[in-house]
Amino acid sequence: MDPLVTTQFLNIAFGIATLAVLALGLAIVFGLLGVLNIAHGELVMAGAYAAWIVQSAGLPYALAVPLAMLACGLLGWLIEAGLIRPLYARPFDTLLATWGLSLLLRKTAEAIWGLGYKSVALPLPGTVDVLGAAYPRYRLMLIVLCLAGVAALAAWFAKSGAGTRIKAMVANPDLAQAVGIRTGRLARNAFVAGCALAGLGGVMVAPLTPVHPFMGIDYILESFFVLVVGGLGSVAGLVAGAGIIGGLGSLVSAVADRTAGYTAVLVIAILFLWLRPRGLLARA
Amino acid sequence: MSARFEFRGLVAGYGGTTILRGIAGAVAAGEVLFVLGRNGVGKSTLMKALMGFLPCREGAVRLDGREIGGLAPPERRRAGITYCPQERAVFDELSVADNLFLTAPPGAAARLAPLAERFPILARRREQRAGTLSGGEKKILSFVRGAIEDHSLVLLDEPTEGVQAENIERMEAVVREQCAAGTAFVVVEQNLAMAERLADRWLVLDKGQVVAEGSGRPERAAIIAHIQV
Repeated sequence: MDPLVTTQFLNIAFGIATLAVLALGLAIVFGLLGVLNIAHGELVMAGAYAAWIVQSAGLPYALAVPLAMLACGLLGWLIEAGLIRPLYARPFDTLLATWGLSLLLRKTAEAIWGLGYKSVALPLPGTVDVLGAAYPRYRLMLIVLCLAGVAALAAWFAKSGAGTRIKAMVANPDLAQAVGIRTGRLARNAFVAGCALAGLGGVMVAPLTPVHPFMGIDYILESFFVLVVGGLGSVAGLVAGAGIIGGLGSLVSAVADRTAGYTAVLVIAILFLWLRPRGLLARA
Repeated sequence: MSARFEFRGLVAGYGGTTILRGIAGAVAAGEVLFVLGRNGVGKSTLMKALMGFLPCREGAVRLDGREIGGLAPPERRRAGITYCPQERAVFDELSVADNLFLTAPPGAAARLAPLAERFPILARRREQRAGTLSGGEKKILSFVRGAIEDHSLVLLDEPTEGVQAENIERMEAVVREQCAAGTAFVVVEQNLAMAERLADRWLVLDKGQVVAEGSGRPERAAIIAHIQV
């Protein structure tokens, strides 16, 4: 195969794989729990800053993963207790409150670190030869880790007791309580996990993108598009949505330019909202 | 009677409306209490209040002498109450097996074996999604899920809705066996014939109040006088 074609294929795979992980947290929080957390993108931003802090301190990059997940998990816990639970079953109020929170988080980041772009160096520099194409080592590693991570989570969700209890809670919350599931606690834990995954996403993308207080907006928009196209509540939907949004975005960007890529994503998302509002593979 | 389960002076409702206006009842270990009445008199609301889905503004609920009126549903389940609701009685998206064993206590698989012989549909459909079952089959699944929880009190809300006659007989046999083992039941039922065969105690609700009650098998004429307008 032409090395250029191989590189484009790998870029598309990279777009899909990282988008799947970035959208994963939102798929849990919004897709399963039905919580509209507009500040979800700011958690990705917080994760990216965690990566920058770890690297600036001269610590091993891998340390950023637990740090970001802990920090975003803790933030998630506070958000759940302070905003989400008191506004339970009031979606519009939740949207407003978390939108306010997203402003607060952006301005807080701006106050601490300023508006300027921070750049995070690649923790894994160099390239690997893939079928004649020299492909960046870090990107290749992310493709593999993201796919393995999503597959592991899908298997856990399908097979584990906790995954089944989450499905039960989502499908029929009253019956879940009647059979002894403490749904409040389970929903809180799932929310915290979704926030921690946003932090992980931030660590992943930090070396590939400028880190700045407003970076969260792009990620939350793309993640919402993934859920719109793929449908809520199933891992297959998440992967399909990431495949279409991430694949289309990367493909059109490669053939034309970034702007055309964004436009194509926006058009397909609008078409889906219009013609198939439940997405490709919505939960039954 | 030393009551296994009793409730007194229950007042509860949704938002500003009061549906239960001071309801009392009791059932001893090994007994079946039937709650009868027309549609919309508060029978299902009473069951929801007993399970903790509806906070009671007044009244007391006791299980084996322990006041449980302040407990949330998952904690009442842990205290020993099984609840089989009238509507949305199973998890449609989970398999039949997951419905049975999702939160089943130890020993549930052994307790299922004799029940699975009585209700072979459960074994045949074990790996299928419960949503593919008919209404009556879902009721059977819900009933059996409750039966293998092996609790001291079982609340059944319209357990026979849509269930075929021979399966109703099998359900009644299971209730009798579990009563013999000391379980208490509170049953809401439209099917008076079932009450005539199983009831140790009964009460009739109207407009959120108990308008008649008694022990032993209820007499149809007495009940019908209260149930018909």
